[in-house]
Amino acid sequence: MLPIPVIQVLQVLTIIGAGPGVSGVIARVEARLQGRRGPRVLQPYYDLAKLFRKEALAPAGASWVFLAAPVAAFTCYLTVPLLIPVLTTFPLPLGYMGDILGGGFILSLAGFLVAVAALETGSPYAQLGASRAKTFAAITEPVVLFVVFTVALLTATDLPYALAATVRSSAGQIIRPAHVLAAAALFMVILYETGRIPVETHSGTNEFGMIEEARSFEHSGPYFALLKWGSAAKQLILYTILLNVFVAPWGLAATRQPWAVVLAMAALPAKACVLGGVVAVIDNSFAKLRLFKITEFAAAAFLLAVLGVFTLYLGGG
Amino acid sequence: MLPAQAPSVYTGAANVIAVLILLAEFGMFRQALLRDQVRLYAGQSVLIAVLAVLVAAVRHLPELYVLAAVTVALKAVAIPLVLRRLLRGTAPGHPLDVSHDIAGSGGLGLASTVLIGIAVAAFGFFSATVLPVSGGGAPVTALSVSLSVVLVAFVLMIHRRDVASQAIGLFSLENGISLAALVVAASLPLILEVALLFDLLLAVVVFGLLIRLHHGRAETLSTTDLTDLRG
Repeated sequence: MLPIPVIQVLQVLTIIGAGPGVSGVIARVEARLQGRRGPRVLQPYYDLAKLFRKEALAPAGASWVFLAAPVAAFTCYLTVPLLIPVLTTFPLPLGYMGDILGGGFILSLAGFLVAVAALETGSPYAQLGASRAKTFAAITEPVVLFVVFTVALLTATDLPYALAATVRSSAGQIIRPAHVLAAAALFMVILYETGRIPVETHSGTNEFGMIEEARSFEHSGPYFALLKWGSAAKQLILYTILLNVFVAPWGLAATRQPWAVVLAMAALPAKACVLGGVVAVIDNSFAKLRLFKITEFAAAAFLLAVLGVFTLYLGGG
Repeated sequence: MLPAQAPSVYTGAANVIAVLILLAEFGMFRQALLRDQVRLYAGQSVLIAVLAVLVAAVRHLPELYVLAAVTVALKAVAIPLVLRRLLRGTAPGHPLDVSHDIAGSGGLGLASTVLIGIAVAAFGFFSATVLPVSGGGAPVTALSVSLSVVLVAFVLMIHRRDVASQAIGLFSLENGISLAALVVAASLPLILEVALLFDLLLAVVVFGLLIRLHHGRAETLSTTDLTDLRG
């Protein structure tokens, strides 16, 4: 039997440990689909190690906020895994600190801090990225809210553990339209939040289309490493919410046995890699949307989420 | 507040298919290319057939298998083929000329039309709940979805400015009615259902004639010019 605090620490370690690896797998799969050999799966870790050894520079005139933001944002990403079912089916004590909305708030706080740091730099691209990220975040916010409403109607709470348990309880819970629609809408939001193809090229150097990627242009050294690591962790956090709460809440530890927890620690990255493969296929099959078409993408996600709530109100969802 | 009860797997699956039909309708809303609209219409018809098969299997209504087969043959194969041939006929001698392939856009932006569509769909949803219908075949939620499909198809026909999109709007409206028929009267005599389908075939012929005629007169598929009165 593992003590509960150990499991809670393992939750965080799993997310930040496996985050860059999942990014590496996605980059690899994407390259393979394009007929390239692609980087090593472990490349993101090497990148981080390299960046941590480098010197850190700050633009002239940037205040302490510029350097504090990456650390604070990373702290946010360390906090969210405590709130969501990463390893266990049973709620852990710190899981009651916040509901889905609380986790969302902490994630947006991190995004806000990075945006503020980007505004500190005075660099046009970083500022442009920050302003775009905030603009479109305001459009995707209603989608997230409606997804949370759906969860609230389905479970009468908005604790992620409760929804995961509901989904596991019967096949009828999986196939009901409200659940399918909410999961699809959340997936579209995740595509936006992780900067994937219909919204943003993930690995390009095309500054004009950049949203999230542009914000960290002026950061360097360990601070840049923290931002990169943070965005990899954020990606895995969002994947975990989609997988362990909505789509596939299986493979989690039901007891505190060490082997069950270790199995769950292996299962989560595996599931995330499968989802990452789907994302890579989407990356390769669609063109990037023009910037002003992103509202249409958000409108489609909003449609799904709203229909989910509608069907629930009719009693048949 | 109590958690919403889980429907049975059959109810859930039927409702998901109904919602997918509605989403296909919204997809036609968003599509700019007529070709893709026709493809979406075919997909929507296949979904109707899948729902019919599901209802037939669960409710033991074997004649619905026939209906599903006829639906696929007619709405997913024949009508899209005819529509595509008609559309090809309207591109004057230029097989690569795609300008005729683009559906005339409505007066509003895409995001706002989707929002209008959501509002109209919501009206359909909630107006169906007051109807005193106890389901015969598919679950009742699918009925409200079918009302939404019909209303959204109306909006599609109103806001698009080209004959072809309007025709597709009408055909998909018929899909909404088929969905409603599956819900309310799944055991409707097959002969009536098939008669309805052939009614649709008639509409295709009429619309085909209209498209040809309109294109022959105005050299375009757009209906905006029709508002000019000529003495």
